[in-house]
Formats: sequence, structure tokens, C-alpha cells
Amino acid sequence: MGATHSASEEVRELEGKTGFSSDQIEQLHRRFKHLSGDQPTIRNLRKGPSGLADEINFEDFLTIMSYFRPIDTTMDEERVQLCRKEKLRFLFHMYDSDSDGRITLEEYRNVVEELLSGNPHIEKESARSIADGAMMEAASVCVGRMEPDQVYEGITFDDFLKIWQGIDIETKMHVRFLNMETIALCH
Amino acid sequence: MLRAALPLLWLPLAGAGATEEPTQEPGSPGEPPPGLALFRWQWHEVEAPYLVALWILVASLAKIVFHLSRKVTSLVPESCLLILLGLVLGGIVLAVAKKAEYQLEPGTFFLFLLPPIVLDSGYFMPSRLFFDNLGAILTYAVVGTLWNAFTTGAALWGLQQAGLVAPRVQAGLLDFLLFGSLISAVDPVAVLAVFEEVHVNETLFIIVFGESLLNDAVTVVLYKVCNSFVEMGSANVQATDYLKGVASLFVVSLGGAAVGLVFAFLLALTTRFTKRVRIIEPLLVFLLAYAAYLTAEMASLSAILAVTMCGLGCKKYVEANISHKSRTAVKYTMKTLASCAETIIFMLLGISAVDSSKWAWDSGLVLGTLFFILFFRALGVVLQTWVLNQFRLVPLDKIDQVVMSYGGLRGAVAFALVILLDRTKIPAKDYFVATTIVVVFFTVIVQGLTIKPLVKWLKVKRSEHHKPTLNQELHEHTFDHILAAVEDVVGHHGYHYWRDRWEQFDKKYLSQLLMRRSAYRIRDQIWDVYYRLNIRDAISFVDQGGHVLSSTGLTLPSMPSRNSVAETSVTNLLRESGSGACLDLQVIDTVRSGRDREDAVMHHLLCGGLYKPRYRYKASCSRHFISEDAQERQDKEVFQQNMKRRLESFKPTKHNICFTKSKPRPRKAGRKKKDGMANTEATNGKPPRDLGFQDTAAVILTVESEEEEDSDSSETEKEDDEGIIFVARATSEVLQEGKVSGSLEVCPSPRIIPPSPTCAEKELPWKSGQGDLAVYVSSETTKIVPVDMQTGWNQSISSLESLASPPCTQAPPMTRLPPRSLVTEEPQAPLNLPSDLRPSFAFPTSLAKAGRSHSESSADIPQQQELQPLMGHEDHTHLSPGTANSHWCIQFNRGGRL
Repeated sequence: MGATHSASEEVRELEGKTGFSSDQIEQLHRRFKHLSGDQPTIRNLRKGPSGLADEINFEDFLTIMSYFRPIDTTMDEERVQLCRKEKLRFLFHMYDSDSDGRITLEEYRNVVEELLSGNPHIEKESARSIADGAMMEAASVCVGRMEPDQVYEGITFDDFLKIWQGIDIETKMHVRFLNMETIALCH
Repeated sequence: MLRAALPLLWLPLAGAGATEEPTQEPGSPGEPPPGLALFRWQWHEVEAPYLVALWILVASLAKIVFHLSRKVTSLVPESCLLILLGLVLGGIVLAVAKKAEYQLEPGTFFLFLLPPIVLDSGYFMPSRLFFDNLGAILTYAVVGTLWNAFTTGAALWGLQQAGLVAPRVQAGLLDFLLFGSLISAVDPVAVLAVFEEVHVNETLFIIVFGESLLNDAVTVVLYKVCNSFVEMGSANVQATDYLKGVASLFVVSLGGAAVGLVFAFLLALTTRFTKRVRIIEPLLVFLLAYAAYLTAEMASLSAILAVTMCGLGCKKYVEANISHKSRTAVKYTMKTLASCAETIIFMLLGISAVDSSKWAWDSGLVLGTLFFILFFRALGVVLQTWVLNQFRLVPLDKIDQVVMSYGGLRGAVAFALVILLDRTKIPAKDYFVATTIVVVFFTVIVQGLTIKPLVKWLKVKRSEHHKPTLNQELHEHTFDHILAAVEDVVGHHGYHYWRDRWEQFDKKYLSQLLMRRSAYRIRDQIWDVYYRLNIRDAISFVDQGGHVLSSTGLTLPSMPSRNSVAETSVTNLLRESGSGACLDLQVIDTVRSGRDREDAVMHHLLCGGLYKPRYRYKASCSRHFISEDAQERQDKEVFQQNMKRRLESFKPTKHNICFTKSKPRPRKAGRKKKDGMANTEATNGKPPRDLGFQDTAAVILTVESEEEEDSDSSETEKEDDEGIIFVARATSEVLQEGKVSGSLEVCPSPRIIPPSPTCAEKELPWKSGQGDLAVYVSSETTKIVPVDMQTGWNQSISSLESLASPPCTQAPPMTRLPPRSLVTEEPQAPLNLPSDLRPSFAFPTSLAKAGRSHSESSADIPQQQELQPLMGHEDHTHLSPGTANSHWCIQFNRGGRL
């Protein structure tokens, strides 16, 4: 798994898969090692609900990170759309905790509750009602506007796309991956 | 335009008359004191404020006149029109008074006209967007302005050296640099005036606009430094002076920003304690912001920056602290003042240009300046963008750069600054004034006029105006957190990380300090959006539902006002359903008695309300098809109409109907249940609100008889193998049936009038028999379903048999309608209901897919409570036909259109 110069083939392979440059991969690997404590994998310490991976290796790590790569300026419209879809799919899976292709009300509520948990004054119930309202809205938007054979038990990925329509995710969902050593300063 | 000019014609005359009067008065001291005058003309005492008021009036009238024609304003920016108007007015004044009376005084401009505009733009600046692009904005504002000033100044000097500028323009390098510094700054007023009408995308707008606001500091510094250098004479300028000049850039800009932030802090803090004196809240906002401006001006810091920062900084806290009414007041007053000031500025610009005594023309200088500012602006933008794009994750593309270069409008700030120049120190002032006027006019008029077509032609990404939806807000928030987290994981503490930190800090300390406790408690952006949506719902509800309430007794009068509802547009649906959602906002507890009462109230309201939609519907139909007078005929017609539509909708969407009807319901039912749970705090507004919700749905509901439903269900059955789905739908339709009859009971309709017991009986089964029903549910999940299915199945089959084929459905229901509906009124109705209720419980769990919704809605509720939720569920399946039907409405409309 080493992203050192000796294992350049591996790096190249990862480059092809994730689109990172070799410098970035090296940086990320350093970071990865830092996070994992020099282990080959990062373990999931928190006992989460089932369906979460117990541990991720560097390749997984890179794959996840690659979702946050800024889009390429040279991309044509089609690829941008594809990229957007990929990014949204990633987000969608963050909501869809049991990964059944639907964000159910319960899942949505959990997200909203966590989102509002920072504010101690907002009760759980109001968080819930917000989630309910949002779900209702999603239902109205998606079922109302779409061809009516849309099954509405939860937000499907298509609905999700619809909801995100107004937001230029492809221009927002990115994080700066530095090429330089400055990354070390942040440790 | 003429109308606007009329009062002005009178102005100089009055002014002339006023100047004569004082000369007479001192001339008559020896005369005996005059007796009590019946009428005295005291023009000179009110002259100044009177003139100001008149000017504003003229400007406002001009605005009204401009906007009489939509065509003109859509083509020509208002600023252009105002400048042209100013030119005309100035010409008239000049012709009448033989001298230019009025012009843009720099003092007035900087102290009175500019602050409102800047405050408005700062206060309503989309702060998130602003900070997201702060880097780019700062670059353009600082580097760009410096670049423009120096290159333009130097190039003009070069032009003079080359002999292209007439030798009578006596100016050295420093003079040209001074001129360059004042002409280089992009003007916030002009940019705002033009760009607000162009609607380019947010990023582009915020960059150009932010630049125009923030470059003030640079302009002020450059102007002052150059001015003092000129005054000192270039020989006396020493190296330390240059250093001082550079240092003053930081002092002026940071100082201005600091002053603004201090006042923002004060303002936020003050509004925290205005709970008992709400009335002065708006005043405080304006006073403190203005104080910030004056303070910065006093300390010769960047006043524009100060006000911008003040507005930007205080908004969040002030908005949270002040009352809703004050918020509206602030908003309107600010907009009014800003638009007023803007109007006057442009008009005065036009008027000032007429005064030929102030300026001297030199073609070389004018043309050279025009060319250089355009050229260097473009060059500067391209160079800076190239550098910025190395760092920006979302690069600015070429089209953006074109718009940015072209959007570099110069305006009143440059003009005011050039007027301020000292003629004795700068001999070429008159030439500079003329050039500035030309540049301003050129940029505002020519560029202002052409930028809209240019943007269209280049296909610049426009901004889409969409109302904030709850989902988007939620997603964006989640998204921010995710980004911050990912940055943390990656180990690079970038923008998102710091914003996250700032938000934490703000939440922990600042907000607690600056916000009222009550405001802080509910202060959250998501909550805000939710709240706003609710308010909107409430308003729209009052607009529509209010009629419902008032017209429960009398059906006809409400017809016209509610035609709009009959359209059952998606937005309507959204709104209505949203209003359903907002009900549960308050408190959640489940006191049975309260709920029962509420249900009863709701039911009665529904009964009262359900009849009208048909009228409404009819009204909208009647526009095209029938005369409104004959009521009976109408009923028939509406029915037929409905059937026709229904059949039409069948053809294209056979499958779809079954889905929309059956499947969305679990979702909504689950939702509604939540609402119901929360609803216990029965406010007055609530039941009617639900009624409103029901109302839209009811458009078809009343007209549809159960026959139609049956025919319908038979349809779905044919199309679809999922009998369960059908059952679920059918049952709730049966419920509707009951409701229809209930509604009929109240309304004096010409149709069958069922006995009132139906309503009571209907209420009883699920009010008193809660426990039983709950039992049903639990058992049904496993066993009863099939049985119920079968009953539903049989029912539908019986109706199905009568229908040969889908297209023929029209005939049978028509013929069969009367007997069936009669049946419902008679003893059968109560019998029907319980039996049919069962499947309605069953469907969520029994349905493979729909089961999800059930589990999801009940899973989070503790087991003991399960009965109640299910009750709620049941209750709302009773209501849910509305939701379901609302889908129907869409269907029908669509079908109708097809």
C-alpha cells in the first residue's frame, strides 16, 4: 500500500482509479498513515449500525476522497453531469444509512436531528417536524412534478437529484488537496 | 418625462423670486411695522428642505413614469434613463435660469446620498456568497484598482508625452496618476443599478459588486495620497511619503472595516435590549450604521467599507433580535432610501453635466481615457483571473471575465471626487471633469445598455430565482458539515474548516452575547427556513383558507376568489401540504380528548367545506363550457366534465394512476400522523388549515361518486397485479365516500341530502373504538389482510363486471351513480366503514413496499405508544384521501390538458 517512489506502479494505478496526482496520493498517504497510526487500515472504532465497513484501507480512503476532487475545467458538459451525479450519489449514500436506495423518513430524521444537535435549544421534536416538513416537501416536489408512477416512500436517488437541482454541487463539493508539503503543518 | 419636468420648471423661478425678496426686506427698516398680514410668502425660510423634497418628488415621479412602460425599462437600465432625464432637466434649468443652478455637490453626495446605498448593499449582501468569494473580491478590489489607477495614469501621461493630448492640458505625471486613481474605481452605485437588472449568476455578481464596494478604501487612499503629493509638489515627495502612502492603505481599509465591525457589535448589542421599545428598532439600525459612516469619514478612513462591514456584520444578530415588524420596516426603509438616493444621484449626474462652465473638452484626453480604462480593465481582469484561477477550485471562465471587464462601470463617486479637486493646485481640473463626465456617461449609458444583450449573447449563466426549500437548506447544511469533516480528514485546514470554526465560535460566544435569549434559542438557519416557509404557508393559507372559513355558510360568494385554488398547481399543493406540515411545529403530546375534539371540529369543518370546491371547480370550468346560472344543470355538467377528464387522464396514464393513488398515500399518511400527534395544541387556525388542505383536494372529491372510484379501482386492478395496493386505495376512497355524504349533509346542495347521523356515526367508530382498531392493526399485519383484500376485491370485481372495457367506463358509473350514493346514506354507511377501515390499516404493513413507510413512521416510536400512532395513522387515512386526491387533481388537470 505504500505510496512511496519504489511502489510507483501502485501509485500509478491509484492515479488512474481516483484521478489524484501522485503528489496528492503521497500526501494523502502520509495523512492516512497519520490517522491510522501506521496501520494498513483505519478501523471504525464507533459501533455504528450494521452496513458500515469495519475498516478501510488506503485505496478505500482514496476513493472516498476522490469524490471531493474539484471538477476538471476541461470536462465537457456530459462529463460534468456524470461527475455531478457521482458526487450526489456519494451524498445520497450518506443519508441512506441502510443503503436500500431510499432515504426514508426515519433516516432523514436522523440526519436532521444530528444536524441540529449543535443547538441545545432545538428539541428533538422540532427537528423531527423539520424533517417531516422536508420530507413532505420532497414528496410534493418529486411526485408532483414527475411522471406520476413515482413511488413515494422515501427519497429515491432520482428525487434526490431533483431536490439538488438548484444547487451547483459540482462547483461546491470539493476540498482543496494540496500538492505541497504544507499539509504537514496541519497535523 | 414632461410631467416630471414641470415642477422643476417652476423651481428656478421660485428660487429666483426668493433671491429677490431678501434684498427688499432690509431696504425697508424705516417703515412702520406692517400690520397683521393675511398672507405671507416665506419661501426663503423653507427653501432648502422644500427643494430637497421637490427633487426627491421629481425623481420618484420620474421613476413611476419610467416604469409605466415595461418595455422601456426592460431594455434600458433605469440609471440611463435617469441620467438622460437629468440632462434634459439640466438643459431646461440652464435655459430658464441662464446658469446651472443645481449639481451634484460632493458634500451632499458623500454625506447623504452614498450612505443609504452602501448600507443597503451591505446589509442585504448575501454574506455566505461574499465570504465564499472573498479572496477573489479582495484581489480585484485591491490589486485591480491599483493596477487600473497606475496604468491608466501612466498611459495618459505617456499619451501627453507623445503629444496626443493638447498642450493646454497642463498636467504632470502626478496629476495624471491622481486622475487615474479617481477614474479607475468601479462604482458601487452604477454597478448595482445595472447588475441588478441583468441577473447574472451569483458568483459573478458578488465578485463585481463586492469589488466595487471594497475598492473604495483603495480609491480613497490613492486619491488622498496623490492629492497630497500634487499639493506638495513632486519635488518635495520623499521616500517616506511613499511608505506612508502604502501604510495608509492598510490603515484606511482595516480601520474602516474595524469601525464598521465595532458599530455592528454595538448595534447588535443595543437591539438586544429593545424588547420594550420595539418602535425604535428600525431607527437604531439606521442611526448606528450612519454613525459608523460618519465616524469613518471623520477619521478619514474608508467610510464605505465601514458601512458595508457594519451592515454585513450586524445583520444576523439584528434580524434575530428585532421584531418581525421592525424587520419589515428596516427592509423597506432601507430599500426606499437607497433607491431614492440612487435616483437622485443619477439625475443630478445628468444635470451636472450640462454645466459647461465647469469643464473643458479635449478630445485626445477623453478618447485616450476611454480607451485606457476599458483596455486596462480588461487586461487587469484577465491577468488577475489567470492568477486567481491557479488557486480557485472553480475557475472563472472566459465569459465571466468578459462580463467582469465590461461591468466595470464608473459612476458618481468618480464624479464627486473630480469635482472635489482644487483648481489652483491642479490646473487641468476642467479637462479632468469633462473626461470624467464622459467616462461616467459612457460606462453607465453605453455599457449599461449593452451589457444585457451581451450577457444574453454570451449565454452567461444566469441566476435562478428560486425560493429556498427546506430540503435544499438541509442538504446544504449537511453538505457544509461533510466538507468540513473531509477537510479535517484530509488534514488540510482550509476554508470550510475555518468557517466551521467560526460558526462554532459564533454559536458559543457571539450569538449568546448579542442575541436575545429567546431569539438565540431558536436561532438556526434550518429553523429559519422552516419558520419562513411556515409563515409563507400561513399567509397563503389566510389568503385562501380565510375564504373557506367565511364561506362555510354561504357557498357561492367564495367562488371567484378561490378559482385559483381549483388549479391545484404543484405550488399550491406544496403550499397546502406544507401548511399541513407546519402544524406540528408547536408541541407534541397526545391527549386523546383534545384530539377528539379537534377531529370533531375538523370533521365538521370538512363537512362544511367540502361542498364548495365543486362550485369552485365548476366556476373554472364554466368559463369555457357552461353558463353559471342553472344550478342543477351545472351539477350535471360538472359531473360529466369530471368524468370526461377522468377518462382522458386514463388513457395516457393508466398505470400511473394506480401508483400515485396508492403509493404516495402511505408516505403522506405517515406524515400526517405525525402532524396529528403534534396537533394536540389545538389552535384555531389549525383545523381550518387542514380544511384548506382538504379543499384543494376536494375539487374532485365531491363530484366523484363512489361509482367512479369503483370503476377506477377496477381499472387499476386490471392494469396491476398488486391487489393490495388497490385495496389500500379503495378503502380510503370508501372513507371519502362517507365524507362526501357528510359534506353533503351540511351544504344545501341540490343533490342528495344525507342524514346528519352519518357524520356522527362516522366519527364514532374511530373515536371510541380506538382500542379495537389498534388490535386490528396488529393482527392484520399477519392474517386479516388477505381477507380484507378479498372483500375489497369482490367489491371492485362486482363493479368491474359492469364495465366492459376502460373506455366504456363512462357510461356505467353514470347510470349507476344514483342508487349507490343513496345506499351510502342509508344504514349501509356505518356498516361499510368499519369493514373497509381494516384494509386501510393493513396496507402499510402488508404492502411490500408501502410497508416501509409504516415501519419507518412507527419504528422510532416506543412500543407502548404504538396504538396512538396507529390511531393517528388511521385518523389521517381518514384525512389522507385529501392528499391522495390532491394527486388526483394533478392527474386530472394533466389529463384535461392532454
